[in-house]
Amino acid sequence: MIGLYAIASSAAVEAVGAQGEPVRAVDCRGFFALVGLPPPLLSVEALRAHEAAVRQIAEKVEACLPARFGASALSDQALTDALDRRRAELTEALATVRGREQMTLRVHGQTAPVLGSPGGGPGTRYLEERRRARKLPELDPLRAALSALVRAERIERHAEPGLLASVYHLIDRGASESYLRAVQTVQLADLRVSHSGPWPAWSFAPEVAEP
Amino acid sequence: MSDARKDAAEEILERADASLLEIVDHVLQKGVMVTGEVMLGVAGIDLIYLRLSVLLCEADRIERR
Repeated sequence: MIGLYAIASSAAVEAVGAQGEPVRAVDCRGFFALVGLPPPLLSVEALRAHEAAVRQIAEKVEACLPARFGASALSDQALTDALDRRRAELTEALATVRGREQMTLRVHGQTAPVLGSPGGGPGTRYLEERRRARKLPELDPLRAALSALVRAERIERHAEPGLLASVYHLIDRGASESYLRAVQTVQLADLRVSHSGPWPAWSFAPEVAEP
Repeated sequence: MSDARKDAAEEILERADASLLEIVDHVLQKGVMVTGEVMLGVAGIDLIYLRLSVLLCEADRIERR
């Protein structure tokens, strides 16, 4: 069995895996699967080590799609077969993340109540709530401040009380300081935004291998 | 929200190792792809997620007080 760290645009020369092993590049004709030892049992240390290995790989290649902890395959052949079936999706994702990195925002607060427009019935309100859930318009001032820097955005709404959403932004590598400065200029009514990054593009990678 | 309350919320996030919470979210999110049921059974995984959830609630409660 082999463990998967990332799909990348090139072989990450001299990268070291989460268990100290050399990272090996499996040529998938057009991209590379970067693999190492099978994943260890889940632990905080194992998660940190996986993240560190992926981070190191991401720094060595132009485009890196991180694999989640535990991603594995029975053999090189099984992995290349699985990836080949998703070639179009992976190639597109690699193009999206090329030369880029991820910033993550956690948005804390309560969502604004939906105001019914004159004549708006339950259906209208429902659709408005759905639209609001997807786009989180409360963040529009932030989007405006970041528009020159953000290349792609993903939003996940959360059910936890107080944690409204996670927002994942793809930015050009090296732009994180400008990004953070821009975030700090924006005050959002009744919302607090915490930030982290830069990260490898965790939230812009398709699931790259079956367990 | 006063600066003092904001500072307290941020301090909780920092004290409880916010970087670990971010790593957990990024590395495990979208469903853990583990090599078998054995790993899913590890109690630590629930603990990690629970900690994340509780922590974020705490920060929020401080803000709203």
